Amino acid sequence: METLTIDNLRVEYRSRAVGDPVKTAVRGLNLRVAQGEVFGFLGPNGAGKTSTMNVLLGFVPPTSGTARLFGVDVREPIARQRIGYLPEQTYYYKFLTAEELLRFYAEIFQIPKAERTQRIDAVLKLVELDHARTRQIKTYSKGMQQRAGLAQALINNPDLLILDEPTSGLDPIGRMKVREIIQRLKSEGKTVFFSSHELGEVETVCDRIAILHQGELKTEGRVSDLLRQHGANLEQIFLKIIGHPLQP
Amino acid sequence: MNTIWALAKIVVLEMIRRKDFYVLFILTVLLTGMAGSVNLFNDHSIVRYLKEICLLLIWVASLVIAITCTARQIPMEREQRTIFPLLAKPVTRAQFLLGKFLGCWVATGLALLVFYLFFGVVSASREQHWPVLNYLQAGFLHWLMLGIVIAATLLGSIVFAAPSSNGTICFVCVAGILLLGRHLNKVALGLAEPLQSLLYGIYFVIPHLELFDVRDLITHNWDLIPGGVMALAILYAATYTAFLLTAAWLVFRRRPLN
Amino acid sequence: MNPAPALLAALAFATALATGGRLLVWQAERVPDTGSVFDLLLGESRRAFAMHAFIKADAYFHSGFYPSVFDLAQVADRNKTHLEESIKSAGNEHHDHDAKPAPARDWLEAFGNHFHPSQHRHLERFGDEREILPWLRLAAELDPQRVETYTVAAFWLRDRLNKVNDAEQFLREGLRANPQSYEILYELGRLYAENDRDVPRARAVLELAIERWLKQEARKADPDKQGYGQILAQLADLEERAGNLDRALAHFARLKQVSPAPETVQKRIDELLARQGRPR
Repeated sequence: METLTIDNLRVEYRSRAVGDPVKTAVRGLNLRVAQGEVFGFLGPNGAGKTSTMNVLLGFVPPTSGTARLFGVDVREPIARQRIGYLPEQTYYYKFLTAEELLRFYAEIFQIPKAERTQRIDAVLKLVELDHARTRQIKTYSKGMQQRAGLAQALINNPDLLILDEPTSGLDPIGRMKVREIIQRLKSEGKTVFFSSHELGEVETVCDRIAILHQGELKTEGRVSDLLRQHGANLEQIFLKIIGHPLQP
Repeated sequence: MNTIWALAKIVVLEMIRRKDFYVLFILTVLLTGMAGSVNLFNDHSIVRYLKEICLLLIWVASLVIAITCTARQIPMEREQRTIFPLLAKPVTRAQFLLGKFLGCWVATGLALLVFYLFFGVVSASREQHWPVLNYLQAGFLHWLMLGIVIAATLLGSIVFAAPSSNGTICFVCVAGILLLGRHLNKVALGLAEPLQSLLYGIYFVIPHLELFDVRDLITHNWDLIPGGVMALAILYAATYTAFLLTAAWLVFRRRPLN
Repeated sequence: MNPAPALLAALAFATALATGGRLLVWQAERVPDTGSVFDLLLGESRRAFAMHAFIKADAYFHSGFYPSVFDLAQVADRNKTHLEESIKSAGNEHHDHDAKPAPARDWLEAFGNHFHPSQHRHLERFGDEREILPWLRLAAELDPQRVETYTVAAFWLRDRLNKVNDAEQFLREGLRANPQSYEILYELGRLYAENDRDVPRARAVLELAIERWLKQEARKADPDKQGYGQILAQLADLEERAGNLDRALAHFARLKQVSPAPETVQKRIDELLARQGRPR
C-alpha cells in the first residue's frame, strides 16, 4: 500500500514584479512511497525538495498535478491527520514548556484527554527530554530544541513522518540520537520521508532514495541497487547525477 | 472548535508570560495614583476627573495591548517558522485565523477585567458606591470594540509584512475613528458635491468604534444603556468583526507560506 | 576651492543665532515668567491647553454633555462658555440654553446618541460642582493670565461648596498673576461682602475694582459695561446694607447710566429715596 503518491507535480512561483519570469521549482514529478519505507529525498539546494514538501504539507498549492497522502488529496486538511512533520531549524513557542507544547499539539489532533498525558510522557521519553519537560523551550540548547521538534512530530503517533533536514546544525551526538529515533520508527513500521544533505546518513538509514535536480527527478531506487549499479558510494553517485565534476 | 480554542489558549498564555500587560497596568496604576494625590482645594471627594484619567489610561493601554499583541501574531509565526509545524497538522487556515482572533480577544478581555477592577476600586474609594452593572456594560462594550480592532489588525498583519507598519496604521485609523468618526456627517454636510456624498459614504462604511466608548456616561454617572440598544450594538460589532475576519481569510487562504 | 558656500553657511548661522537671541529677549519681555513647569514644557501652547481645560470644566458642569467643535462651528456666539454664562446669571437658574438636543441627522447619529451624554443637563446633586474644580485648577496652572478661571472657580467654591477660604486663596493667587484685573477684585469684593460680611474690606476692594475698570475700560470704544455694572451693583448693595444710603444712591446713579435696564435701577433709587424720606 502506498502512503505517499505524487503524480505529474508542477510547482511554479510567480514573481510579484511585472515582467519577471515565472520560476518553476518542480517539473512533472512522479513519486511513490510505500508503507514502512524510509525514503531519502535528495538534491542540491534549489532542486525543488522543499517545494515538494511544501505541497505535501499544504503550504503551497500545486500549479498542476496531484499529491496524495494515504489516498487523500493534500489540499484537504484531514490528509495531515496521520502525518508528523519536522521542519528544518524550527523555533517553537519559546514561552511554552515542552510539555505545554506537546499538550497544545495533542489538542489539535484531538487526542482524548486520558490518552494525552500517556502520549506526552512516551514521546518525551523517546526524545530524552523527560528531565526538561517543565522548562521553557527558550532555555533549551539547539539539540534539545530539535528533539522537542521531533517530539511534536510524533505526538499523534503518525504513520508517515516528513523530516526536512532533521540533523541540520546538530552535533555528532545529536545526529546519532536522531538517527536512532528514525531507526526505531522504522522498526515500528512507520513510513519516513526525509530530505538531507548528509549522504552518509542517508546511505545508512534509507531503504530507497530519489535525487532531484533543477525540479526534475533524476533517479529513484533502492539504495543497495544504486550502489551496485554505479559501483560507487552515494556521494559519488549524487555528484555524478547532478553533473558536478568529480574530484580525483 | 477544539482546535480554535487550543490556538487561542496559546495566545492567552503568551500574553500572560510577556511583560507588556504588567508594564501597562503598573503605568496605569502609577499615573492614576499621581493624579489622585494632587490636592485640589482641600477637597478629597472630587472623583470624576480621576475616573476620566483612569478610563483614558485604560483605553490607551487596552488598544496598545490589542493592536501590538494581534499585529505580531502571524508575522511572528512566520518569522519563527512555528506556522509550519502548526499548519502541517489538521488545522485549516480559517481555524488558524479564528484561533488567533479568539486568543487575542480573550487575552485583551482578561486584561480589561483587571483594568476595570482597578477602575472600580479607584471609583469606589471616593464615591462610596459601586455601580457594577454600569461598569460591566462599559467594559463589555469596550471589549466588543476591541474585537473589531483585533479583526482589523489581523487583516492588516496579512496585508502588511511588518508588524510595526501594521500597528502604526491600525493605531492611526482607530484614533482617527474614535476622535472624528462621530462628526464626519457634520463635516460632510458643509462640503460641496461630490465630496459630500463621498464623505457621507465613508461615514456609513467605517466601523464606528466611538459607539462603544461610553467613558463619559461612566464618568458622569449616567444611566445604563437600554437592552435593545445594547443588542443592536452587539450586532453591529459582530457584523464588522465577521466582515473583517472573512476578508482576512480570503487573503490568507491561498497565500503560499514559503 | 570656492569659499562662497562656506561663507553663506556662516552668515546663515550668525543670522539664526542673532534672530534667535532677539526672539528670546522679545519673548522674555512680553510673556511674564510664570515659573511653571507647563511654561517650560509647553511654551505658548499652554494657553490652548488651558482653554481646553476650561472647556472641560464646562463639559463637567453639564455632566459630560458638550457640543463638539463641529457643532460649535454652526453656533454664532461661541466665545463664552456656558459655565461663565451661568455665573453671570447667578441666582437665575434659567439662563439661556437649549434644553432640547439638536435632532439627529441620520440613523447612525440617532443610534450613537445612546452612547454619549447627548442631553443638556447640569450637575444635579448639591456639591457636585466640586467636580469642575480640577480642570479649573489645571487651567490656572497652564495659563495664570486667564482671569475667568479664578472668578469661576471662586464662585463655585464659596457659593456651592462653602469653601470661602479656598476661594479667597485662589482669588489672591489670581490677583498676584493679574494685578490689574478688576474682575478678580470684584469677585474678591463679593466674597468679603457676602461671605465674610467684612464691609470695610469689601468696600476697599470693590472701589479698587472700579478704579481699575475706569483705568482700563473707560476709554475703550466698547467697554465691558456689564462688568462695571456688576461692581457698582455690588457696591451699592453693600452700602445699602451698611446703612450708607447716600453712598448707595451715588453708586445706583452711576449704575443707571450703564445698566441695560435703567428703569429697574431707578426703582431701587426711588425705594432708597423713600426710605430717606426725600422727594423722588
